[in-house]
This record gives sequence, structure tokens and C-alpha cells, in this order.
Amino acid sequence: MSIYLDNNATTPLDPRVLDAMLPWLQGTHGNPASIHRPGRAARAALDKARAQVATLVNAQPAQVVFTSGGTEADNLALKGACSGIPRGHVLISAIEHAAVQAPAEDLRRQGWQVRRIPVDADCRIELNGLKKILDHDVCLVSVMLANNETGAIQDVKSVVAAAREHGALVHTDAIQVIGKLPVDFVTLGVGLLSLSAHKLGGPRGVGALIVDRRVDLVPQITGGGQEHAQRGGTEDLAGIIGFGKAAELAYLELDARRRHMQGLRDTLEAGIRAMHGIRIFAEHAERLPNTVQLGVTGFDGEMVVMELDKRGIAVSSGSACHSGSGRPSHVLLAMGVDEVQARSAVRISFGMQNTVDDVHTLLASLTTLASKRSGALAPA
Amino acid sequence: MKQKIIYLDYAATTPVDPRVAEKMCQCLTCEGMFANPASAHAPGRAARGAVERARSQVAALVGAEAGEIIFTSGATESDNLAIKGVAHFYQQKGRHLITSRIEHKAVLDTCKQLERDGFQVTWLKPDVDGLIQPSMVEQALRPDTVLVSIMHVNNEIGTINDIAAIGRITRAKGVYLHVDAAQSAGKLPIDLKDLHVDLMSFSGHKLYGPKGIGALYVRSQPRVQLDPLMHVGGHEHGLRSGTLATHQIVGMGEAFELARQELANEAPQLSALRDELWRALHAAIPEAVVNGHPTQRVCGILNVAFPGIEGESLLFACGALAVSSGSACTSADREPSFVLRALGRDDQLAGSSIRFSIGRFTTAAEVEAAVRIVGEEYHRLLDLAPAG
Amino acid sequence: MFSDTDYSTTVWSHFRAPKNAGEFHAGTPGVLSGTAGTRKHGRVVAFHLQVMADGRVADCRYRVYGCPATIALCSLTSEILKGGPLAAAAAYSVVALAEQLGLPAEKRAAAITIEDAIRNAAGRYNSHLRSTQASTEFTREL
Repeated sequence: MSIYLDNNATTPLDPRVLDAMLPWLQGTHGNPASIHRPGRAARAALDKARAQVATLVNAQPAQVVFTSGGTEADNLALKGACSGIPRGHVLISAIEHAAVQAPAEDLRRQGWQVRRIPVDADCRIELNGLKKILDHDVCLVSVMLANNETGAIQDVKSVVAAAREHGALVHTDAIQVIGKLPVDFVTLGVGLLSLSAHKLGGPRGVGALIVDRRVDLVPQITGGGQEHAQRGGTEDLAGIIGFGKAAELAYLELDARRRHMQGLRDTLEAGIRAMHGIRIFAEHAERLPNTVQLGVTGFDGEMVVMELDKRGIAVSSGSACHSGSGRPSHVLLAMGVDEVQARSAVRISFGMQNTVDDVHTLLASLTTLASKRSGALAPA
Repeated sequence: MKQKIIYLDYAATTPVDPRVAEKMCQCLTCEGMFANPASAHAPGRAARGAVERARSQVAALVGAEAGEIIFTSGATESDNLAIKGVAHFYQQKGRHLITSRIEHKAVLDTCKQLERDGFQVTWLKPDVDGLIQPSMVEQALRPDTVLVSIMHVNNEIGTINDIAAIGRITRAKGVYLHVDAAQSAGKLPIDLKDLHVDLMSFSGHKLYGPKGIGALYVRSQPRVQLDPLMHVGGHEHGLRSGTLATHQIVGMGEAFELARQELANEAPQLSALRDELWRALHAAIPEAVVNGHPTQRVCGILNVAFPGIEGESLLFACGALAVSSGSACTSADREPSFVLRALGRDDQLAGSSIRFSIGRFTTAAEVEAAVRIVGEEYHRLLDLAPAG
Repeated sequence: MFSDTDYSTTVWSHFRAPKNAGEFHAGTPGVLSGTAGTRKHGRVVAFHLQVMADGRVADCRYRVYGCPATIALCSLTSEILKGGPLAAAAAYSVVALAEQLGLPAEKRAAAITIEDAIRNAAGRYNSHLRSTQASTEFTREL
């Protein structure tokens, strides 16, 4: 029996979400664009899911644009907001996911100025650093709501307040936060907010961009006029319905989930603190209740992942999208962590299926692993 | 008054084949391959294996190499990626594109967007049968043409374009050819080894697979290069980013595998059923006419104009049939079909046209019932109308 | 492929089984006919009113080419006009009826076409029956 502790990469599908999806994977269903009865039934199911996702983040259903995932949502946010306007400046935090960094790079190739907002040693963006580079040339600021590697939560509300003074639009990638902590589109005040289904018990291949009506977004996939003409293509009906259900469940169970995951995280951290040679990155930051990024002194993170994998424990050496690249985490480097330490990083991310026994098994494996090597991981 | 619906709108979307649904469910459950295929651990590797198997299955149906198949969120994204990708990558070479007026909206809207961005587009008009003749493409080619995008089978009328001949012309001139094969894959044999097609779009949900998944074939020899639509290195050979939905990909792979096994049997059966549909319709309504080429048509689609009556009323009267008055993606705006207008049908005739599209699960009894309903309602509405 | 959920039950049932559809038998006395609309614009309505000597509409018939709303409105209007004075028929607002039924604004043109057909029919009253007593009453009522 394997223990899956890589829930920030992707979560197992909640069986209740699967039940909601199954009728839409089987039988005859219309194309939501068709006006006959099966088509309209599909349209109604789509609208219900739209309302469920909107409720989770306190947005209006009409503000939800479904996409093929968080990556597409981030791409649509950056490129959609910056298409068709004179080239200006884009600010992104130094710790953004590749899904934000890559379209920003593409904007740079098209002649936009792209600048990075620095973070402190605990992975929190420096508001003063942001204010120094904010001016009226800045069209868009993109700062994630919580970092996927360290779990550090960002003060996006203050980013919005600072950006507003200069008339800049703010996008936030909230993919890691939904289902773990409350997210409020209205209170945050951002113009664009990215979501993904498969990080909160929903299916993969579905995401959404929440778009404030005042934002003039240029669609990146055209044809068919779906999603309020912001994203063409026949909708992944079963996937979207799954996303809706996952969002509804997350909304109803948020407190219980937060408590459960935080309990596991605290147990793990207590065990870790009793060991020598393991540090917790961004330890002093307010963090997601399920995420711990460890630095295991004297070990290469990739190696720890492989060793734990042999013992049936799945963890990550960074974000999944980077694995195999061999480069140390850009997030840790931005925090001022040196390259050797950054290479020792291992991320544990809990989900609702995990138990305290899983934590103890992990701690035991880490201890065993340590005994193989110069006592670096031995208990204090 | 809930009647049982007779679903004859397979060209808009097909039911998921139960065998496909079963494979997808296996991937969706906790015991299955739910992990991120980009992850290094064992569940991640299992998911990656499933994705690669599906890639081979898709490739096998159309005579491509697995490495030439890119998974996308659907044929619309495939069309966008192919057309914008080539246009942007090769814009130093030229900024002229050729397409037709009867393409799917995904191609039309993408080409219009490029036109707004300063590219030049030649919009070919089909002949009276709805075909784009290779000679039309040849005449439209210019020294600065970089891409021709012509659909294999038209989604509204089902006519088949001669992409082999078009490909010989484009290849000889060093121009890339993109073909939207959303309506033809699995219904017509396609062997990309013998076709000079550089890019081909596929859809999952038109071939008994799930909605929200598609693929783009990108030829490797000679190689065609693309600017990606979505940026983030790694996934799908750097051409398409985002976490891959394993269950969706596996579903598409299984659907294409089944299509490959059943194509030889299924296509003649569907053709026979479609011919029977037309024979019976024509017997009931001698005034009815077929839209599109009489023989050069795909097996599942029959588009018929019903003169003398108003289209919306006919559709409402035939409430027990799920059929389409145009292509599904354009039905919502209720304008007369641009394809039928391009064929020279007036608005009235275009408006009173119905697309019947049948598929794997259509029965002879359903066809018979559909003809009875259409026949009765047509005559009722015709009797109601004033002369002239 | 559509169902009752698109239109109200009333509209739907009158579309499915329109009342008073057709024409009067040839030679029926007092029949006034008016048409409006074109096929090119999606609707043609031919309305026939049978007007009695006292200026009342005894019966209605119509033929219609058009969308379900046009057909249902013809049927409903024919029921409403039956038995009423011709002046009321000529002044009847099919547009208001369409609004009452909750039809969308784009169906307004259908209602106007029907009104036009009825007025064209009613407008023949004077020329056909100028010399009769009924004509005087009709003029007074107007």
C-alpha cells in the first residue's frame, strides 16, 4: 500500500466527485452549444458547475471562464490581459509557477518589460520591493496567493492596494489555496484569479479563470464563442461537472479539511524538529495547512524522493513540473537559499486521504534513511 | 410531455462508448493512475505509461508516429495551435494563408484573428456541391503563402475534400497544409504516411471519446515547427503545456483504438443506414433535397433542405428528435448556416435545413421513427402555410 | 428536438394544435382577407375574418408560414377575436398578447405581422360593405 504525499502536484479524485461525473461519462449527452433537449441539459449542468465554482471563491457565475486547467488559466490571464494594448511593464513575483513565468517570458519576447518582485528569506514577497518598481507603465502584476513549493501565503490584498494607485491590474494564481483556505475574489480585489480542479479532489484537465467584468481580456483560443466568447471549444462536460462538485464539497468542508491537514502537518513538523539536519523552508511565514518543504542536509532531494519511492511513499523534490530538470528550485534561490541546500529540498503535501499513520511511516523512513548516512538524519 | 429523445446529432457530439467510459473510470479512481504524469514517483510513472499508450493508439488510427501526436483540450485548440503556430513561426517567410468559407468556426475565427493582426487570408468559396477543389487552392497560392487550412469532412453537410490532391499541390510549393479531421477520423481511412499533410486536428468527443480532449498531428519528416499557444516547457514536447488529464487522454486513446478496429465494418453499415434514411425521407417528402455533394460524403451525415416551411417551426415540431439546424457550435445564434449560404442556398432554404447525423448506436428503428416524425410534421406545417 | 420548456405551455400547445387554422369554404358570406409578411423575412400571415351584418366577427381562419411563436399567436388571436366587434379586432394588440405570454422581444415582429394582416382584412370592410347598415355602425364604433 503506497502513501501519497504529493497532493500539491495532484490530488486523488474524491469518490463523490467521481459519482457526480460518472453519469456524464456514460450515456448520451448533448453538446452544450446545441439547442435541442440533450444540448440544453448539458448547458444546465454546465451552468450549475459554474455557480458552484463561483460560490467557492465568492465570485459571480458570469465571471467564471472554464479552461483546460490552471496552466491555460494563467496563460489566458497574462496573455489575454496584455494582448491588444500598447506594450508596457509586467511585474511577477520571483516565486511564480512556470505557468505564469512562461507566458511572462513570451511577453518579454514580444517587447514587454517583465520584472520580478523579490521575496524575503521566508518566501514572502517584499511589498517595499514591489512599490519601488510600480509605476504607471505597469499594466499587470501577477502574484500567487500561496506558493506551491513552500506553501507561503502572499499578501495579495496589499499588492492590489499598491497596484491600484498606479492603475495596474492584478492577477493571482490561487490554485494551491482553494480547498485549503477560504478564497474571496471580492475581498482580494484582484481582476483575474486562476483555479484548477485537480488540486482539490477534482479531475485533471479542468481549470478556470475568474475575470472581473471590467477586465478587457483577449481570448487565446478562438472559435465557437463558448465561455462568454473568452475561450472557444466544446467544454469538457464531465470534467467541469466534476470541478463543480469538488468546489461545492470544498466549500462545505473547508474547516474540517483545514483542521485535518494542519493536524498532519503539525505532527510531521514536530517529528522533524526532533531530528538533526532537517530544516523547514519558509518556516516563519504563514503557510498552507498541508505543505512542508524540507531541506535534508547532505542529501540530494531527488535521491530522497527515489529512496522514499522505493518504500512506497510518494513525495516531490520540488514542483512536479520541474522534476527531472535537475535545476534547483527557483523559489528557494529567490529566498536566498544556497544552491546545495536548495538541491536538498523535499516537499511533503498532505491531502484528505492521508492519516497520522502516514506521517509516522514517513518519519520512520526518514530516520531509516538517515541511519544509512553518517547520522545526518538521526533523532536528536 | 417527456418523450424519449431520438439522438441523431452525432456530428455535434457522440455518446461516450461504454468501453471508453470504463477505461476512463479506471484512471479516475484512487486505485488507478491518478498521479501527475510529470511526477517522478511510481504513480506518476504509471500515469505516464498510460498517456504514451494512448498516444500510440491515436497515432495508429491515422498512420502517424506516436511522437507526432500532441494532446490538446480539443479540436478547437488543435486548430488554434496549428494555424497560429505556423503563422507566427514562419512569418518571416510570408504572411499569407489560404482557407475556405466552410471551415469550422475554430478555423474561421482563428484566421480572422490573424487577419486583424496583419496577416492576409484568402477565403475559398466551395463549389455548388460544397467541395473545395484542389485547383482552387492551386490558383490561390502566392509566393508568400505559408499555410493552407482545409477541412477533411465538412461538419454540416459531410462532403469530403480531396486532401491527398491538395497536399500534393502544397508540398510541391513548400507550403504547409493543415487539415481539420474532427469529422473524418474513424469514419474514413486516413494514412498520414501517404498524405502530404503537415498538421491534422482530431477531436475525442466526435469519435465516442470524452469532451475536452483532442490532438494535433505535427509531421516530423519533413518537420513542421510551431509557436506554442501556451507556454511552460516540458509537457507535450514543449508545444502544449498544462498537467495532462490522464483519464481524458486514456479515453481518447481507447476511442481511437476502437475506431481502428471497427472502421472497416462500421463505415459501410452507417452508409447503408444513412442511405435508408434518405430513401425513406425522400419517399415521404418528395420536395426534400440533399445539401452537398450527392456521393462524395462521409458515412454519418445527411443534411436535407425542406422547401416551403419555416425552419424553426420544423425543428420545434420535431421535438422528439435531437438534430441540428446548422453546426452545433453555431446553432445558438440561429443565423442561417454560412456553409449552406456558401452553397448558394437562400436564407429560407438554409433555414429549413436539418442535419441528421447518425453513429455507432443508431438503430434502424430510430431512423424509421425519425422519418415518420419529420414526414408528419412537414406536411402539417405545409398545410398550415399560405400558398406561394 | 425542442420541448415545451422553450415556450410557455400555452404557446407550445397552440403551436402543436393550432385552432381555427385554414380557410373558409368558397362562397362563405362576409369574409374579409388580409395578408402581411414575406417568406424572405421568415413569416407570412393570411388572416380571414367572417364579419356578420352587425359588424361582429363570427369566425376566423388563417394560414401561416413562420416560427412557432407566429403560429401560436395566430391561433390565440383567432380565438380572442371570435365574437367581438370588428373594430376591436382591427385595434387588437397582438404585441401586447406576445408580451403577456412572455415571448422574447425578438418575437415582436411576428406579432406586428399578424396585426398587419388583421388590419389589412378589416380595412376591406368599408370598400366591400360601404352601402350597408353594418358599415355605418362600424364607422360609429371607430
